[in-house]
Amino acid sequence: MPSNSPDRWGVTNLRLAFPKSQSMFFKDLTFHYRRGEKILLLGPSGSGKSTLLQVLTGLVPGSVELPMRTEERSVPESWGFIFQDPDTQFCMPYADEEIAFVLENRRIERKKMPGMIRRYLDMAGLSLDDPHRLIRTLSGGMKQRLAIASILALEPEVLFLDEPTAMLDPEGTKQLWETVRRIGQERTVLIVEHKISEVLDFVGRVVLFDDGGRIIADGPVDAVLSKHRKELDNFGIWYPGAWSGFIKQNRGHRAARSEPKPLVELKDFRVFRKKTVKFSLSHLTIHKGEWIAVIGENGAGKSTMIEGMMGLIRRQGTVHWHLDDPEDEVAFVFQNPEYQFVTDQVADELAFKLMLKKKDAKETNQRVNEALKKFSLFDQRTQHPYQLSVGQKKRLSVASALIDRPKAVILDEPTFGQDARNTFRLLDLFQTLREAGTTVIMVTHEREIVRHFATRVLRIQAGRLVEDRSQRPEREEGAYGRHLGEHGEVVF
Amino acid sequence: MDAIWASTEKWFFKINPSLKFATIASLFIVYLFVHNLNTMIWTAVLFAMLYFAVNGLAGKLAFGLLSLILVFSALSSTAMVFFGKGTHVLFDWYLVVISEESLARGILIGLRTFIFSILGLIMASTTEPVPFFYSLMQQLKVPVRYAYGCLAAFRMLPMMGEELVHIRQAMRVRGLLRKKGMRARYERLKRYTVTMLAQSIRRAQRTAVAMEAKRFSMSQSRTFYYEIGWSRYDLYFLVLIFAAAALGFFLAFWFPLTPYTDVLDQ
Repeated sequence: MPSNSPDRWGVTNLRLAFPKSQSMFFKDLTFHYRRGEKILLLGPSGSGKSTLLQVLTGLVPGSVELPMRTEERSVPESWGFIFQDPDTQFCMPYADEEIAFVLENRRIERKKMPGMIRRYLDMAGLSLDDPHRLIRTLSGGMKQRLAIASILALEPEVLFLDEPTAMLDPEGTKQLWETVRRIGQERTVLIVEHKISEVLDFVGRVVLFDDGGRIIADGPVDAVLSKHRKELDNFGIWYPGAWSGFIKQNRGHRAARSEPKPLVELKDFRVFRKKTVKFSLSHLTIHKGEWIAVIGENGAGKSTMIEGMMGLIRRQGTVHWHLDDPEDEVAFVFQNPEYQFVTDQVADELAFKLMLKKKDAKETNQRVNEALKKFSLFDQRTQHPYQLSVGQKKRLSVASALIDRPKAVILDEPTFGQDARNTFRLLDLFQTLREAGTTVIMVTHEREIVRHFATRVLRIQAGRLVEDRSQRPEREEGAYGRHLGEHGEVVF
Repeated sequence: MDAIWASTEKWFFKINPSLKFATIASLFIVYLFVHNLNTMIWTAVLFAMLYFAVNGLAGKLAFGLLSLILVFSALSSTAMVFFGKGTHVLFDWYLVVISEESLARGILIGLRTFIFSILGLIMASTTEPVPFFYSLMQQLKVPVRYAYGCLAAFRMLPMMGEELVHIRQAMRVRGLLRKKGMRARYERLKRYTVTMLAQSIRRAQRTAVAMEAKRFSMSQSRTFYYEIGWSRYDLYFLVLIFAAAALGFFLAFWFPLTPYTDVLDQ
């Protein structure tokens, strides 16, 4: 098989090592693809899919130096790469300049550039009135489409997409796949993705990796997905139907709730960002034991509302907590866990709040150990929080917020960017908290959480509360979620 | 960057950035060798006026930066004013001895700081980063990797600003701000540094890979989206700067405000 033919690319017997690890990561991995194929690479996080994409393009070892060896490797002549993080793909301040950067690299004549820039923006479905627009002012979804426009300027025949929607909301995700569908028609496309529902009808071939970086299945979509459902569950992949299996086992908002005593009352509440009112509300009462989902479009003011409730940004009006010390008894979990870490070790991170309150060493120790076990972080207890995986970081940030048993917990998109496994376990945990009387308030885009778990839904639009809907509980007894062990601890 | 600018239409924005840069750099050297206090006073006044006439900053920011450099200039003069040598003592208090000579030299140093800063401000407040680096590449043949590297770094500044806000909020939520004392301050400083460094290094690495994925090559020749050339404004600029500098020297001669024509004279 001549793998250097112009229609077939890939690697034969790839071996690769990560710094500081003793063993080879890929051991004699062979993977090839043909012109025009649309391929989805699936696997648990850390299974080396992204690295493989970079090997297939030559970014590894060209730009990212990793020790590797292949028997044979053929890289397509022209390719484009879309990365996960919309913010770090650009080097210029303005949208037109970013595409021009690529054209400059290709040594295109200057006077042809403005026309080409417009054309590539149109192709990517990003219609800007004036292409000279600050990239910083674009939404995440628009940034990703700009990234597509700028790689279209490379006129690539192969597109590599490395979790392009991981940091996008549902709307941005939908538009991105529409664009990819359109521009990918005539091209070869390789996609690494965890949220696969929207790409399944676009791809023709699925390659499934295990956590050791081995290929365990490779074939047509239906064959692989139906035969390997168990692996998909274990790897936390968001396949269609991932929710339904989970939801059946959790009572969600149907579970009984405690007597509705008020927890916090907001009156003539206004929150400011840079001196302008970004959220206002005339009256709202939140009760103990509610699970509140705050929903709405991007930029509607959801985060502004909860940050205002916490007093993190300037606010006016009355915020009355029916608590002795709200600053102490209300926990807050940010979207990016890394900002929240204040120590250099997982165990210290959990102990921090308890030390601050001068609890005695024995109790602190005991509670930290409980939390480490409950959140499956025991083996990581001496690691630096930054060394954890995405899911572990999120768990640690939630665990450290909950360690002192707050009366209420406010979370900003707690399941965002998390795999299915981690999401379901976190939801089970919040469910037990709520059933025990803790109020859970979360900003979320996830439809299933809103539908199944929230007891009350607040819809925010243009800085105002436009809908306040309660989901009635039916008094019915059911089993605890399957992710809870016999002592009610969460099994991650 | 757009929040900073009130207007980028002023004619100082149309001057070739490399020319502006070179002219202002050479002025630095000139004023390093001026020891006439009168010249420095007049020059400082003239360039401060020029700054207000040409800068493209929002009004408040323009004043804010000016007061900042005033404070810096005053601070930089203090060492010489308080502790310098001199025979005509004006004020004496333990270690602090202010003499007429030390006062004159101190003020000269303060004015030099002021002139350097105001010249730098004239440059910075009338030049956008993108044309500046394009001009450096085209006229001064600065290697492309430095120019695009700096531009990519500029993009990160607002992100770091936002990050600082997030970290502060997170510290508040975690109760780190409740702690008092030097140790807590040190802890907080360490947290800011570690978090910002870790995020910035990661971002820089990702951006570098993304740039290479867009076939950025450090060695090959390239075309340019912006052609930074020359215009009549460059001539106006040279004439104006030369006139302002010369006027400083003449005014010092015609209207000497102080008797110190050479502060190095005993």
